[in-house]
Amino acid sequence: MPVGGFVINVDPEKIDESIKRLKSLSGVEIHGLDDKGNVVAVLESSTSQEMEGMVKEIMKIETVFSVGLTYFNAEDEIEGNVH
Amino acid sequence: MGLSRREFIKRTAALTAASYVGISLPFSKENEAQAADADSWHKGTCRLCGSGCRLELGVKNGKAVALRGIPQSRTNKGYLCMKGMLFYKLMGNNHPERLKKPLYRARKDQPFKEISWDEALDIAAKEFAKAVKKYGNNSVAYYGSGQALTEETYIFQKVMRGGLRTNNVEGNPRLCMASAVGGYITSFGADEPIGSYTNFERANCFFIIGSNTAEAHPVLFRRIMRRKLDNRDSVKVINADPRVSPTSRIADLHLQFNPGTDLALLNAMAYVILEEKLYDEDFLKNYAVFRMGKEKKQVDFAKYKAFVKEYTPDKVARICGGNITPEKIRQAARWFAKSEGTMSIWTMGINQRKRGVWANNLIHNLHILTGQLCKPGADSFSLTGQPNACGGVREGGGLCHILPAHRLVKKDKLRHEVERLWGIPEGRIPPKPGYHTIAMFEAVNQGKIKAIWINCTSPAQSLPNCDKYRKGMRREDVFMVVTDIFPTKTTELANLILPTAFIFEKTGVYGCTERRSQLTVKAVDAPGEAKPEVWIVREWALRLAKELNDPVIKKCVEPFLGKEPDYELPKAIWDEYTQKLTKGRDNDLRGATYEVLEKLPDGVQWPAPTKEWALKGGTDIKFVRGLDPLADKHAKNDLPYQFYGPAHPDKKLWIWLRPQKGPEEMPDSQYPFYLSTGRIIDHWHTSSMTGRIKELMRANPYAYVEINPKDAKKLGIKPGDMVEVASRRGKNILPAKIYVGPCEGMVFVYWHDQAEDRMINRVTKDAFDPGSKEPEFKICACRIRKVSGPRPLEPFIVNMKA
Repeated sequence: MPVGGFVINVDPEKIDESIKRLKSLSGVEIHGLDDKGNVVAVLESSTSQEMEGMVKEIMKIETVFSVGLTYFNAEDEIEGNVH
Repeated sequence: MGLSRREFIKRTAALTAASYVGISLPFSKENEAQAADADSWHKGTCRLCGSGCRLELGVKNGKAVALRGIPQSRTNKGYLCMKGMLFYKLMGNNHPERLKKPLYRARKDQPFKEISWDEALDIAAKEFAKAVKKYGNNSVAYYGSGQALTEETYIFQKVMRGGLRTNNVEGNPRLCMASAVGGYITSFGADEPIGSYTNFERANCFFIIGSNTAEAHPVLFRRIMRRKLDNRDSVKVINADPRVSPTSRIADLHLQFNPGTDLALLNAMAYVILEEKLYDEDFLKNYAVFRMGKEKKQVDFAKYKAFVKEYTPDKVARICGGNITPEKIRQAARWFAKSEGTMSIWTMGINQRKRGVWANNLIHNLHILTGQLCKPGADSFSLTGQPNACGGVREGGGLCHILPAHRLVKKDKLRHEVERLWGIPEGRIPPKPGYHTIAMFEAVNQGKIKAIWINCTSPAQSLPNCDKYRKGMRREDVFMVVTDIFPTKTTELANLILPTAFIFEKTGVYGCTERRSQLTVKAVDAPGEAKPEVWIVREWALRLAKELNDPVIKKCVEPFLGKEPDYELPKAIWDEYTQKLTKGRDNDLRGATYEVLEKLPDGVQWPAPTKEWALKGGTDIKFVRGLDPLADKHAKNDLPYQFYGPAHPDKKLWIWLRPQKGPEEMPDSQYPFYLSTGRIIDHWHTSSMTGRIKELMRANPYAYVEINPKDAKKLGIKPGDMVEVASRRGKNILPAKIYVGPCEGMVFVYWHDQAEDRMINRVTKDAFDPGSKEPEFKICACRIRKVSGPRPLEPFIVNMKA
C-alpha cells in the first residue's frame, strides 16, 4: 500500500474549484494549502501502479499545473512482490 | 495514543510535502510515534535525466523501500517526478530481469551461455589484444554514456588512450549535447553554462526554445512555473517551438515556426534589438567582438549590423511560417532585451541539428548583445539530457577529441601534460582525435573497428538511421562487449554481456547541467554477480597488459590496485582526476573531495579549487569577480566580468555572423512532411529502464505519431488509426494521435519504443553538424499514410529469452 506526499500546484485564481475536484478523487487526502496555489496532499493506493494512475488523473484537471512528489514509501509492496 | 504504522507513514508524507512550501500542519514529527519509516537513509542523485535531483533512498532489511527528496538541494528543492519516484524498483533484487551473470557467445547467431567473470575478462582482453596486434590500435573503440559515473568514464578513457593508444573514445552525449559544447566554446570561450538553476528564481523573462521542459525536465519546469505563477504580470515566458507541448501551457507568447527556420527567427530578434537600440553598448564595448567564417575573422559592429539587416521581421515571418508575425518577433525581442534578467533554455530542438552549433551561437548572440549574462536571472542555459553528460563525458574526457578537464587532444602541450600526470611516456596518447560517433559506427560498418566496448547505452536503438549501423554491429568479425543492467536492442548484437551495478549499488559522482558534482554512495547490494564498471575496467586492463606484454597498460591502473570496488576504488579514481587532472583548469574540482561531497546535501559547482570554497557550494556564476575565484585569479583589468575561458585568447565573448540554414533534408513531393522526435514524461531514452517499470509502461505502452488535425483531415486519418511513417531510410507503423501539437506539415514521434515497427530511429536521418558532429535527429522528411483502422497493440521490451 504505497503512500506518497505531494505538493500539487493549482491555479491560484481557481483554488476552490481545484480543491473540489481533488477531493472528488478517492485516495487523495488534502492536508493543507496556501494562497499561492500550493496544495499539500497525501495519496494512498493499493499499488504504485494505481498511484501513477491517480497522478495522471490529477494532471488531467485543467487548473492543476504540476504534481510534485516529495516523499514516497512502498515498504509493503517491496516486502511482498515488487512485480 | 500511539499511531498505527500506516498512519505514521501518511503523516510523514504530509509533513514532508508541507515542509517544502512552508505550510503548517496540525501535527508535527516530534509528537509522533517514533517508529522509523526506514532503517537508514542514503543521499544520492536520480539518474533519469540531467537535472541532478537529489533524494534519499530509504533502506529496510537491505532493500530499497522509500524515497524522499532533499529539500536543501539546490537542484530540485526536494521535488521528484514520477520516474524519480519509481526507479527504486530497478535496484538490488527488486527487478527479476536484471542481468546477473556474464554471458558469452563466440558467434552472434549462437545463444548466450553463462560464464564466470574470470572467463569473461580473459575473453574481453584476448579479443581486444588480438585486434590491436593484427589491425593496429585504432581497430578498437570505446563507446560510453552520459549515464556512466565520472569515475567510470575517466578510467575507461585512460585505459583506451594511455593503455591501448587510441582516441577512439566516444559517448552518447555526442548525440545530445555536442552542439551545446560547440556553442559555448565558440561564443564564450569555455564549455558549460555561466550561471545556475538559481536563476530560475531570479529571471523575469524565460526564452524557452527547442525544449519541452515540462516533460523532459519536469522538476526544473516546476521552478520556472512557480516563478511565473508567483509573478504573473511581471515575468514573461516565451516558448518558441514548431510543436505546441505541455511547456507551452505557461507561455505568454508561443512562437510556432516551421522546423529548421529558427536561425532566421533568432537573427530577426537581433534585428529588432539593433533597430530599436535595445542593445547594451557598454557591455559590447567591454566584453564582445564580432566574428565570422571558418577563419573566425574579426569584423566590426557595422559589418554585423549589415549582416543582420537581411533578417527583417517581415521577411523572417514569411520564412518561418507557422503562427509567426512581424509583431510577435518584435514582442519577443523587446521582452528579451528589456527584462531584468532573461534566461534562455534549450535542449535537443536546438542541438540535434545540421547547424546546431550555429543555432546555439545565435541564442548566445542575443544575450551578449543585450548584456543578459552574469547578472541575476540573466543566462544562456542549455539543459542536459543525461545525469552525467557534463560531469563524466564533457569534463572527464569522454569524447574522441577531448582529454580530461577540457583539454583538446590535438594540442601537444595539453596532451603531454596528461601523459606526465598519468606517469606514462610522452607520445603515448596519439595526437589525432579518434572517430566521432557516426564515424565510429561507420567504421564498424566497414570492418575497420574489430573490437568495441559499449557501456551503459544502446546505440542499436539510439543512433539515427539505426538499421544502417545495426548491420555493422551484426558483423561476425566485429567483437562487441556490452556492459549494462538490462538486456537492450544492443545486447542482442553483442558477443559478451557484462552485468553492472546500478546507481546506489556502487559509489561515484554525477555532474549535472549546472556544473554541479554530486556523490552517490553505495546503499544496497547489486543483484547476482553484477559489478561496478570501475572494477571491470581495472581487471580487464591488467589482463590486457599481459596479453599485449605492455607494462604501460598496467601503469594506467596501478594507482587503483588493491582497492575494494564499492568505495575505495572510485574514490581513488576521483582523487586522481580532481587533484591531478583538474588542477589549474577551468573545471578545477580539487575542493570537491568525497569528504566534502558527503557533507553537503547536494554537491559542489566548479570552479572549486579549495575545500573552503567547495564547502560553500562552489561557484554559482562563472566569470564574475567576487563570485568566481578564477575570475579574480585571471583578472586582466578592473572590469567586474572576466571571460577567462581557455578557447578565446582575446578573453572576449564572440558574437557570430551565422546565416539561416535549413535542415539537410527538406520535405518534397515524395516525402512531404517534416518528422521530428522527442521524449514523453514517463519514459526515458530507449526505455530499457522505464519500460521495465510496470506503472510507467502501462501509462505509455507504445509510441504513437502526433499529426496536426488539419493534415489528418486531408489524409482521412482518425485517432487510433495505424499510420505508416516512411522516409528514404526506413518506416514505422504507429497509432495516430490527432493533436494540435505539431504545426501543419509536421509529424512528431516519441523515440523510446523498442518494438521494431515503432522504433523511430529506423526512419530518422544520420546527417550531422559539421562542427559538433551531432546528428540531426530533430528534422527529416517523411510521408505518412493510413494503413488500417485501430489495432490492438502490445507493449514490447527486449527479453533475454526472446
